[in-house]
Amino acid sequence: MAEFFSKQWAEDVREALQAGPSEEVRGNALPEYWAFFDLIRSIYEGSWALGVRDLPKEMGGAPAYLYVQWSGGNVTDCRIIGPDDPLEATYVLGGSFADWKKLVEGYDAKRTVMYRKILIEEGDILEFFKTIYFFVECLDQIGRVDATFPVAVPA
Amino acid sequence: MTELAERKSPTAVLHEGPRALSDQDVAMIEGVDLAGVRDLDIDDVIELVHKDLKRLPDFATLYRKYLKQRWDVYDLDFSQDKIDWHEKMTQDERDSFTAISSGFHHGERQVEIELPIFMIGANEEEKLHIAAQIEDEARHTVFFDRFYREVVGLQGNDIMDVLDATFPYVAETFISPFGLLAYQAEELRRDPYDERARVRYGTTYFLWIEGVLALSVMKVTLSYARWKGFLPAYYTGFTATCRDESRHVQGGMKYLQDAVRKDPSMIHEIHNTLRTILYASGVRSREIYFEPLGWTEEEVNLLFQQQLRRKCNDVGISLSQDLEDLLDQARAQLAGG
Repeated sequence: MAEFFSKQWAEDVREALQAGPSEEVRGNALPEYWAFFDLIRSIYEGSWALGVRDLPKEMGGAPAYLYVQWSGGNVTDCRIIGPDDPLEATYVLGGSFADWKKLVEGYDAKRTVMYRKILIEEGDILEFFKTIYFFVECLDQIGRVDATFPVAVPA
Repeated sequence: MTELAERKSPTAVLHEGPRALSDQDVAMIEGVDLAGVRDLDIDDVIELVHKDLKRLPDFATLYRKYLKQRWDVYDLDFSQDKIDWHEKMTQDERDSFTAISSGFHHGERQVEIELPIFMIGANEEEKLHIAAQIEDEARHTVFFDRFYREVVGLQGNDIMDVLDATFPYVAETFISPFGLLAYQAEELRRDPYDERARVRYGTTYFLWIEGVLALSVMKVTLSYARWKGFLPAYYTGFTATCRDESRHVQGGMKYLQDAVRKDPSMIHEIHNTLRTILYASGVRSREIYFEPLGWTEEEVNLLFQQQLRRKCNDVGISLSQDLEDLLDQARAQLAGG
């Protein structure tokens, strides 16, 4: 199991996103919902930078971003962008270390968005929400990738 | 007023059209106390919204109406509802009802917490109305919390515990309007005086969530309860909620109408917001069985379309052809606020 926001974890995320939602996950919603998800995935040309605003220094320091780029139905790039690296993405989002940890521990991805635990910092909100089902199901998949947290969440 | 005993079918208004309300009817609906709300016909309360959309009241008037119409959610007695739920309703009816009411349970909470930010950029009279609306939404959240605890029988130490228990019944597509609202509220938090962002937010909140989703879907459970003569406290509290919503929708439509009159280019913000909402509304994630409550999905879709078109027509917001096409494809979504 890789450390959260490590190079290996980003690779595990890439594999998970490339594989797509499992049959078990797909069984929770109607086929038409997943057909829409698959359609958006097939035409999506854009990138997300999913940030941790307060990633502990011991884990790389803040702000750090998981950069995910999509093209032609595939994940064409998936890596960690550190505090000193240039940041450029179609949508930049951010959340706290504590809320990221909860997502990885099983907190619902839809409520993570709805309860503002991850927020858009740069990008067109209306365009982003045209493909919200695609984004939130990918966020759910990211949350399902196991990770270790060597540093505790500050009280 | 239509007598409760008549118990017309839930979808009668779709086929017969709404009853024309006289000034006396309006005074009765607006002035009746909580006990009298039980005798109101939900179709009349929904029609009240549209009657006043043609001559939108100012915000101070809406605030005065709030002071007269405010009701105490703890005055409701759910003991008969508990009997109806467990002993008279079928499992299919309970399942359909729960799917719908869970959207409202979460929707009321969302519109409660996302509204304060909008108040910052409002004028002083509008601030009074919005402050009242925040209190309304908090009361509606407690209404559903009580319903789930005392009627359905869910347990929890606090409001969030009960929300956690009903979230599995909420469809995946709920994220579309309510996630959008949360992000638009955050956009306003950064600049509360950005008028274009306020119009986009107002379109999602007042026109779509309250004016279309809430008023359409609340009718489904209320017309069922009235038709069957079940759930008297639910009918009373949620019909009173609908009367509250009529003030919210009127206030919201006034805000949008004023914004477009002041700057006609604001219509593009409304259209662009609706375009995003309708684009995501063309897909369902759950099979919704409205039939046990006396509806079909097609009838609910029709209700959605009627609600949006009537509101836009009444306040002078035209829909472009591409939006009309998207609206035709919109599917019934279980959400409310």
